[in-house]
Amino acid sequence: MRKYWQIFKVSFNQEFAYRFNFLMWRVRNVIQILVIFSFWNTIFSNSSQAFFGYDRAKILTYVFGILILRAIVLSSRAVDVAGEISSGNLTNLLLKPVNYFKYWFCRDISSKALNIGFSAVEIFLLYLWLKPPLYFQGDPLVLISFLVSLIFAVLLFFVILFLVNIISFFMPENAWAAQFLFIVIILEFFSGGIFPLDILPEFLFKIFSYLPFYYLLFFPLQVYLGKVSQFLIFKGIIIAFFWFMVLSFALLKVWRLGLKAYNAEGR
Amino acid sequence: MEKVVLVDKLSKEFVVNVKKEGFLAGLSSLFNPTRKIVRALDEISFSIDEGELVGFIGPNGAGKTTTLKILSGLLYPSSGLVQVLGFDPWQRKADYLKKISLVMGQKNQLWWDLPAIDTLDLNRAIYELSKRDYEKSLRELVELLDVENLLNIPVRRLSLGQRMRLELVAALIHNPSVLFLDEPTIGLDILAQTKIREFLLDYNRRRGATMILTSHNMDDILGVAKRVIVINRGKIAFDGKLSFLIETFAKKKLVKVYLSDSTDFKKFEEIGKVKKIDFPEVVLLIPRETAAIATAEILQNFPVADITIEEEPIEDVIKRVFKEGVLRKSK
Repeated sequence: MRKYWQIFKVSFNQEFAYRFNFLMWRVRNVIQILVIFSFWNTIFSNSSQAFFGYDRAKILTYVFGILILRAIVLSSRAVDVAGEISSGNLTNLLLKPVNYFKYWFCRDISSKALNIGFSAVEIFLLYLWLKPPLYFQGDPLVLISFLVSLIFAVLLFFVILFLVNIISFFMPENAWAAQFLFIVIILEFFSGGIFPLDILPEFLFKIFSYLPFYYLLFFPLQVYLGKVSQFLIFKGIIIAFFWFMVLSFALLKVWRLGLKAYNAEGR
Repeated sequence: MEKVVLVDKLSKEFVVNVKKEGFLAGLSSLFNPTRKIVRALDEISFSIDEGELVGFIGPNGAGKTTTLKILSGLLYPSSGLVQVLGFDPWQRKADYLKKISLVMGQKNQLWWDLPAIDTLDLNRAIYELSKRDYEKSLRELVELLDVENLLNIPVRRLSLGQRMRLELVAALIHNPSVLFLDEPTIGLDILAQTKIREFLLDYNRRRGATMILTSHNMDDILGVAKRVIVINRGKIAFDGKLSFLIETFAKKKLVKVYLSDSTDFKKFEEIGKVKKIDFPEVVLLIPRETAAIATAEILQNFPVADITIEEEPIEDVIKRVFKEGVLRKSK
């Protein structure tokens, strides 16, 4: 345990090594929030009517909720894994008696802790300024379900991200493109990061709800907002668990193949 | 004595994608890559006893680094047997990794933006060292390598030589019994090189650690290793005593003279075999035993600005090893 606590600490220190970069990254975050917020605010400001079952209050709640979830689920350090592999820096860790996955999960947690800490302050300030309608969930049973769905979201994202990153073993030059395509485009789109998924036609929504991405952002938020029945929460958690197992298994397989292909480059 | 490293008929092949020049050819190779198989190691066999310090020499691309990477479990061998301390390195068991260390001259494990002490703390946790063992080891290494006042400076602000010394501290903090060193002195100045070589020799004696040291430069091995393995194009060209290798194949030294003035170049031929004349530089090949006398003679009779005595390039020695066909002379 000490091992992983130390990894957490060093990783945390590392984030602060470039203070100006860090500051700019936070500024970017705030601007991003403002852009998304004002986009939806403008769409709904001229009319009191609802689009696709969303009125102004609901959509702003959704957007704000997604922002908070994004800080928890999508903040990660394991995006560096592809670079570690193609530069050969993976070598350093392979030579140490430490589990590579646990190492990066630990660093992810450290990155999340940092992100959550700062986001909390930023989001609070923005809340005071923009005053979006918020929804506070009071039912403890729902809150527990939300927590479970959140844990699965974090685990699922870690496994998906790792799988995308270790493509680098087989095509070190193309890893960045793969990462961009998966994380920035596919994942954001399918997880509800860009728009609420339930504005989609029924059959499309059905398909989406069986994909793993659905359980990263959209599902936990719906659970929190109390929009999902007990039965559907249960079903959703089972599906998320199923995906987690399948993808973890795939990850281990691909990882082993990758290590055989690894050339420990950089001399 | 116990065999620490056992290698038998080890081969390693790499599949390389061949890149073509030009945009269109590059595009076609994206979809239809041309692959080529490169044999980096070709059925090499050797063994190393406990506490031995072995020099592994050969030109760039000979297969030295590949061998070390296989021994430390980073690369999967294509065929053959590899055993270190009774372990199969490829499995990378924690018990194995705690007993070895790989130091690469051009690769760093220290966290670039943080002081070295942070990496050392992390290593202490990763290797599960007790506070006592850690502090004892740290104190000893810090003193031997003289890095006391460098521990708290962010690594990126250190010079290459300082960094390399700290890399050694990080690589040895868990007191490994087998050490693989891949060109640990590359890029360093002569003084720093000597420091590190002396340290390694001392470390080998103190802890009785088994060590393999690679280099493409024979000077690096001289005075450190008694036994050398010469490797070229994936094959072992020589395995035996360094003194034997030198007596047999490196009988001559290279004397480089830098003249301050023009002179009668023919007179050089009386002293030794003239290898090259490119004013102001003259390169002579002179038998090892008489190199010192010849140097004195040159200094006396020629307008010399500078003079150096060097070992012959490893490539030349290896060529001779192959030509004379003496393979694997016993120790």
